[in-house]
Amino acid sequence: MDRIMESTEQSFKLSPFNKSKRPFCFLTSSVLVILTGKKAHHLKGFVEKLRTMDGNVIFYHIHNSYREYHFAPGKYTNDFAYWIGEALGESTLAEKIANIEIGEFTSLIALRDKIVAVVEQYLESAVEIRRSAPGKEFYFCRNISFVMPTKYEVNSLDEFCEAIKKVGMRSLYYHFFEARLRLGHKSNDFSEWINSDLTGYDDLAEKIERLNPYLYTLDELRDKIIDLIEEKTKLPIVRKMKKWLHLS
Amino acid sequence: MAALKLEDYAKIIRSQNVDEIHLLAERVAGTTLKMVNSTLVGGGVAEIMNRLVPLINEVGVKTKWEVIKGSSDFFNVTKGFHNALHGNRMEVNDKIFEIFNNTNEENRKNMDFSEDVIVIHDPQPAPLIKSKKESHAKWVWRCHIDLSHPQDEVWNFLKQYVSQYDASIFSAPWFSKSLPNPQYFITPSIDPLTEKNRELTKAEIDGVMRKFNIPRDKPIICQISRFDYLKDPIGVIQAYKLVKKHVDCRLILAGGAATDDPEGAKVLDDVRNSADGDPDIIILSLPPFSDFEINALQRASDIVLQKSLREGFGLTVTEAMWKGKPVIASAVGGITLQIIHNFTGILVHSIEGAAYQIRYLLNNPEIAKKLGSYAKDQVREKFLITRSLRNYLLLLIAVHHPGENVVHF
Repeated sequence: MDRIMESTEQSFKLSPFNKSKRPFCFLTSSVLVILTGKKAHHLKGFVEKLRTMDGNVIFYHIHNSYREYHFAPGKYTNDFAYWIGEALGESTLAEKIANIEIGEFTSLIALRDKIVAVVEQYLESAVEIRRSAPGKEFYFCRNISFVMPTKYEVNSLDEFCEAIKKVGMRSLYYHFFEARLRLGHKSNDFSEWINSDLTGYDDLAEKIERLNPYLYTLDELRDKIIDLIEEKTKLPIVRKMKKWLHLS
Repeated sequence: MAALKLEDYAKIIRSQNVDEIHLLAERVAGTTLKMVNSTLVGGGVAEIMNRLVPLINEVGVKTKWEVIKGSSDFFNVTKGFHNALHGNRMEVNDKIFEIFNNTNEENRKNMDFSEDVIVIHDPQPAPLIKSKKESHAKWVWRCHIDLSHPQDEVWNFLKQYVSQYDASIFSAPWFSKSLPNPQYFITPSIDPLTEKNRELTKAEIDGVMRKFNIPRDKPIICQISRFDYLKDPIGVIQAYKLVKKHVDCRLILAGGAATDDPEGAKVLDDVRNSADGDPDIIILSLPPFSDFEINALQRASDIVLQKSLREGFGLTVTEAMWKGKPVIASAVGGITLQIIHNFTGILVHSIEGAAYQIRYLLNNPEIAKKLGSYAKDQVREKFLITRSLRNYLLLLIAVHHPGENVVHF
């Protein structure tokens, strides 16, 4: 009985109806792609130019494929790896670039330098420098991002969960990808808000933070976040009772 | 047909995307915009404008669409420019440049540029930029064609005008040139609700096939495109003949003509000669406003081809993909932005390659069906008119924020 009471008490404490200290306003961002006019035909030219690119260019090419809805995961996770693999046929290097842990970086310049280092290391032992076919060069792009508030402003986890089901993918993208790496936030915006403005959900914030967004489409990422919230808010009593009964 | 409203598209795209368009529109409400091109009918640009201009107006940006006028001499010159910019040789001389400049000057004198933003489409009206110094507007050059391998003499002549714009827009990264102004990458789009792309009933499709006396007793492959050497209709016939040795099928070549393309009749004659009286090659020269018929012909086909030698973006590819058709197309221009090889369609590089892939898909209808299904998803997310609307709204903001990475509202 004590255990049941403890469980009920815990679930009450985790009630989704608890108000947040500050509201969470869902923002959304739209982008226009800008062509830099710079292109590369081979790895040496690519790495020379890449070294001079600012964080905006790096961000664009790392996230371009995530930003748009993609209905199936591609072979490579970013534009750099795709070009190196498909246009140059350097599959080994492409896999190395694709598997750089983006989540470990909070600075785009540090990420750029990592990519440069991986390519340079590869070039040291390369026996030939392959050129891309005409028309298959790498074109460096950047983007201009327009950030706006949406109509969704929430004051509790319950409202947050309902809103995240309705906001557009660009909003999800903004709070998960753009806020963290481009704007230099330590975490994604959702985890930050849950951690600092709600009481008793630190573990939920951590679980959302641990999601690797680069493994999912944005639709899948949304579903994962909703699952985590619902797992936390809707079923604690049932789960705990099942666990208790099983142990008993 | 009743005028289409933005809300009508919410049934096709994600409703949040419509919400976001309204959010952006609030930021530019009251802005005035003028679009200028060289033809009211025929060709992809006119089609986009026909639908885009009403939509931009609907969301609160007062937009005018104007078309420059010119003699057949002028359009012969601009057609030559078009081909030269796509990499073909054109004999150039002062007379040609004079015709081009004079026609633009006559148009310019009769036009008013009091709007906030002016978007000039393609090379034909590019010299209208001369009015920039008398206007307060931001001027944008929207290039719909592939400039990756232009004839230098023609490009250098045009560049003197293009360089004066505040910004330019290209349909693919590799179309862009070295220019002093910001260059935006914006793909064109199709309207899923117009006569050309809306869903058709079986009875409607059958009716069009009866109208053109096209039997349905064997697989149909088609290419719907202007009769233009750059679309390689004769190459399509050669590919069909290679296929026909192995698989019985029927080929439809159908297309209209744009008023700014004087070469169409000659191409059509050559195509008829190449068909050599084969009753299974059906050549249809469609009059303007044949969108319904084009829709039906695409939907009645088992495979859609686009064997272009050069291509701007290739909206006929987009149309066929939207209809869930397996598309076999040349890996040129913007087609490679649309077709992910073996996933949302098939890319080929030769007549022989096209023939082989036609045979393959005719023998593997399940694979053809899957390609068509992914193709439709791809278009829904990236290449519908609502995406162009969003991009134009963004452009109206971006021209006032040159050099910035993030604009907060």
